[in-house]
Amino acid sequence: MERQTRFWQVALLALPLTVFAVLVIWPLASSFYYSFTNWNGFSADYDFVGLANFTKIYTDDLFRNAILNTIIWMVAAILLPTLLGLGLALLIDSRIPGGAMFKSIFYLPICLSAIVVGQIWVWIYQPDWGLLNTVIAAIRGDDMNFAWLAKPDTALGSVIVAWSWQQTGLSMVIYLAGLTAISEDLLEVCEMDGASTWQRLRLVVIPLLTPATVVVVALSVINSLKGFDILFIMTGGGPFNSSDTLAMHMYNESFKKYLMGYGSAISVVLFLIALTIIGIYFRQLRRVDEIYG
Amino acid sequence: MADTRAIPTRDTAMPEAADKPFDPWPAVIFIALVCLAVLFLTPTVGVLLSSVKTTREIALGELWSIPSALYLGNFTEVLNNPAVHRYLVNTLLVTAPATIASIVLGVLAGYVFAKLPFRGSNLLFLVIVSGMFFPPQVILIPLFRLFNAVGLIDTLWPIILVHTALGIPICTLLMRNFFATVPTALREAAIIEGANEWQVLTKVALPISLPALAVLATLQFTWIWNDFLWPLIFTQSDEKRTIMLGLVNMKGQYSVAWGVQGALSLIASLPTLIVFLFFQRYFIKGMTMGAVKG
Amino acid sequence: MPILNRRTLLATAIAAPALMLGAGSWAQEGEVTISHYFTGDLGLGGLKEIFATFEAETGLKVKDSPIGHEDFKTGILVRAAGNNLPDVFSYWAGARTQFVIDSNSLQPIDDMWNAAGLDEIVAKSVADGATLYGGKRYLVPFGYHYAGMFYNKSVFADAGITDLPKTWDEFLALAETLKGKGVTPIALGSKDRWPAQFWFDYLLLRTAGPDYRAKLMSGAASYDDPEVKAAMALWKELTDKDYFVPNANADGWTDASDKVARGDAAMTLMGTWITGYWNGIGLKPGEDYDFFPFPEIESGIANAVVGPVDGLVVSANAANSEGAEKLLTFMVSNADVQAKWAGIQGALSANVNVDPANYTSVMQNALATVAAADTFVFNYDLATPPPVAEVGLSMFARFMDDPSKVDEILANAAADAKEAFNE
Repeated sequence: MERQTRFWQVALLALPLTVFAVLVIWPLASSFYYSFTNWNGFSADYDFVGLANFTKIYTDDLFRNAILNTIIWMVAAILLPTLLGLGLALLIDSRIPGGAMFKSIFYLPICLSAIVVGQIWVWIYQPDWGLLNTVIAAIRGDDMNFAWLAKPDTALGSVIVAWSWQQTGLSMVIYLAGLTAISEDLLEVCEMDGASTWQRLRLVVIPLLTPATVVVVALSVINSLKGFDILFIMTGGGPFNSSDTLAMHMYNESFKKYLMGYGSAISVVLFLIALTIIGIYFRQLRRVDEIYG
Repeated sequence: MADTRAIPTRDTAMPEAADKPFDPWPAVIFIALVCLAVLFLTPTVGVLLSSVKTTREIALGELWSIPSALYLGNFTEVLNNPAVHRYLVNTLLVTAPATIASIVLGVLAGYVFAKLPFRGSNLLFLVIVSGMFFPPQVILIPLFRLFNAVGLIDTLWPIILVHTALGIPICTLLMRNFFATVPTALREAAIIEGANEWQVLTKVALPISLPALAVLATLQFTWIWNDFLWPLIFTQSDEKRTIMLGLVNMKGQYSVAWGVQGALSLIASLPTLIVFLFFQRYFIKGMTMGAVKG
Repeated sequence: MPILNRRTLLATAIAAPALMLGAGSWAQEGEVTISHYFTGDLGLGGLKEIFATFEAETGLKVKDSPIGHEDFKTGILVRAAGNNLPDVFSYWAGARTQFVIDSNSLQPIDDMWNAAGLDEIVAKSVADGATLYGGKRYLVPFGYHYAGMFYNKSVFADAGITDLPKTWDEFLALAETLKGKGVTPIALGSKDRWPAQFWFDYLLLRTAGPDYRAKLMSGAASYDDPEVKAAMALWKELTDKDYFVPNANADGWTDASDKVARGDAAMTLMGTWITGYWNGIGLKPGEDYDFFPFPEIESGIANAVVGPVDGLVVSANAANSEGAEKLLTFMVSNADVQAKWAGIQGALSANVNVDPANYTSVMQNALATVAAADTFVFNYDLATPPPVAEVGLSMFARFMDDPSKVDEILANAAADAKEAFNE
C-alpha cells in the first residue's frame, strides 16, 4: 500500500514536474546567473561583477520609483476588479431580468487583447477629442483638455482604470459562482431574524464568499503581472518613467539600454518580492482550509 | 457550498408570504445595471467604431462620432487577406494543444497534492505556485537559447511547450483545490474495491471535475490566444506567425492603419468569446462545486 | 458533453502541430535569411516584390522575418543572445550600429563595398557617417530620412504668410503671426519621446554647431554646459510664448501630424516619413503641405541636417555571408528597387542613380536640402549610445511637461548621462 502510493506519487508528478523544471525553473535560475555579470545581451563576452548590479539598485532612483508604482499597481489591480466584480455579482444575483446578458457584457472585455484595449483607452483619454474629456466638457459646459496619460500624477491611475475595466468581468463571474452556492434558506433565515441587507452582506455573504475571494485574488495577481502589455501600449512607462513598474523597468534596462546583467538583478528582486506575496497568500489559504477543510 | 451549521438558526415558523409593500429595489438595481452596462460597453463600442471607419476619418479626430455611412472596407480587407487565415490557424494550433496540455499536467499534479500528500509536498506545491508570480520577460533569453539548441525555433512547438509550462501553476492550484473537495471516502471506497490511483483519478475524480476543467479551459484559452510575447520570440517567418503578431505588424514603422487594426482585433477576439459562451454554464457550476471551495 | 479521454487529448496535442507544421525549416542551402522592421501593409508588400526580383536575378531564396519596429529591438537582441542572428538584418545607422559592432556581432563589408563600386553609388552626404565605423564599412543605407519643418499650406496662406523663414527672428515673427490668427503655430507629439528630439538636435546644431554636438553625443561634453543651456533657453522661449500645442506629451507623432493636417496647428518638425503618412490619408504633396528647413540661428555655423538612416548589416556568423553580401549589393545599387522603396516609405534613396523624377515635389526639395547641407547628422537617439539616449529622451519629455524646471532637468540629465556613459 505504502509502496503503491509512493509509485503513484512519482508517476503522476513526473511529467508536470519535468516540464515545469525544464521550462520555468531552469530558465529562471540561469537568468539569475546573469545578474552577477555585466552582460549586454549582444556580446558573447561578459565579466563577473559580483554584487555590483545589486548595489546599483540601492542608488537607482528609477528603481525606487518603479517599486512604488508596482505596489500601487498590484494593490489597485487586486482591489478594484475584486470589489467591482463583487458588486456586479451581487447586483446580478438579485434575480434581475437579463442576468445572462449583463454577465456577457461585463465579461466581454476579457476577450479583447491588450493591444486593442490599450489603443482604445488611449483614444478615450485623448485630450482634444477623446471621449472622457468630451463628456466632462459637456457636463461642465466649458472646455476640458486635460491630458490624462501625459501627466505624471494621473498616468498610472488612468491605466489602472482601463485595467480594472478589462478584469472586472473575470472576478464577477467567479463571485457569481460563489453566490449561487450560498443557500437561499440561510439568507431567508437571516432576514427573518431581522438582519438588514447590509448586515446580511457583511456578516454572512462576504465571509461565505472567502473561497471565491481566494481564487479571485490569485487570478488578479497573475493578471496584474500580465498587465505589462497594457501599460506598455498606453504609456510605455511614461511620461518620463512616472508609470514604470518593476517589470517595465527591467524591460527598459535589459532591452532598451542593453544592460542585461542589471535587468536580471531587477528580476531577482522582483522574484523575491513575489515569494513574499505568495507566503502571505498561502497563510490566508491555510486559514481558509482550516475553516472549510 | 455554504455551511449552514455555522449560523445559529432559530426555531421560528415560516411566515406566510404576506402582501409586501411595493419593493423599488429590483427596478433600481436593474437601472443601475443598465447604466453600468452602457459604461462598460463604451470602450468596446469604440473598437467597433474604429473598425467601420477609414484611417483618414480617425486621423481627423472623427473616431467617437456616429458614422454617417457604414464603411466595411476594413473587414473585407482583413477577411480577404490569406495571411490572416494562416495567422488564425496558427493561433488555434498553439492555443488548443497548450490549453489541453497545461490542464492535463495540472490535473496530474493537483491530484497528488490534494489526495496523495507526502513530506514536503506542500513546499513543492508552493514552488510550483510561485511560478505564477514573475513577468515572462525574465526567461525570454534562456528559453530562446534552449529551443535554438534543439532546433525548434520558427516552429510552433516552443510556444506550445512554454504556454503549457507557464499554465502549470494556475492549473495545479485550481485542480488541487477542486480535488480537495472530492470526499476522501469516495476514493477509499474505490481503492478497497481494487481500483488503483489512476482509475480513481480518471473514473471517480475527473468525471465530477468536468466543470473545473471548463473553467481552466476558458481561462487558459483566452490567455494563450491573446499572448504575443512568445510567438514574437519563437517565430521568425510570416508563415508561423499568430494573430496577435499579425495585429502588431499592421502598424508600420512610419505608418498606421487604425481601421484595419480595429476590424482585425474584433475578428481576433471572436474565438475567445465563443469559448466563453460555450463553457460558461460549466464555468459557473465549476466554480460552485470546487474551484471556489478552499 | 462526453468526458474527454486523456489519451486522446494528449495524442491530439502532440500530433496536431506535428502533422501541420513539420520541423523548423529555417536557413537552408542557397537561402539568405533576413530580419527587418519594415512592417505595415505597404512595407511588407513592397519588400515581397523586391525580394522576388532578387530571387529571379540571383537564384538565391530570401527568407524574411518582419517584426514591428519596437518589438524588433527585443526580437533581434534575443536572437543575438541566442546566437541565432539572421544573415542580414535592418538596423539604424549610428550609435546603435556601433554598439552591435562593439559586441562583435557584425562583419565588415569592405570587399563587397569596393567590388560593387558603392563609392560611386552611395550619396556622399550619408555614405561616411552611416557606413564607416572605426575605418571599416559595416552597413549599406537602404533609405534615409530628413527632418524638416512640415507645414499646412492653406493655414500659412490664410495667415497671409508668403515668405518662409530663413532666420530665427523671421521664424519667431512667423509664429507670432500664426498665433495672432488663432492658430497654434507648432504641433508636437512627444508621447513616445523621440519626436521631441529633433527640436533639441536643431537648436543645438544651429547654436553650438555640429562639432560641439558630436562631443556631447560621445560624452566629451556635459548636459549642463552653457551651450546646452543656451539651446534649451531658445526652446523654452517657444514654450513660454505658447507656440507649442498644449499637452504635447499626450500625442503620438501621428496625432501631431493630424493636427497640422486638420489645420489645428500650422507646422511640425518631423522626418520625411510624414509625407508617406499624409499621402496615405489623402493629402497632396506641394498642394496641401510642404516643408522648410530649420532656420539659421547664428551665422557662421556649419549648416547641418538631421535624420535617421535605415541600414542593412551582415551578422558576424552569417550562415550564408556570400548570399548576404549579394543581397546587400542588390538592395542598395539597384536603382529601380531604391526608387520603389523610397516611394513606399516616403524615404530618400542613398543611391545617386535614382532619378529625382521618382520623388514628389516635396521629396525632391528635401533631397536638394540634404545635398546643399554641410553635414548630415543622425538624430539624437541614433547619435548617442542607447543608455544615454534613454536619459536624453526622458529629459525632453520632462521638459515639455514643465519647461519652467529646465535648470533642474538639465542638472539631473547631466548626472544621469555621466553615469550612463560609464556603463
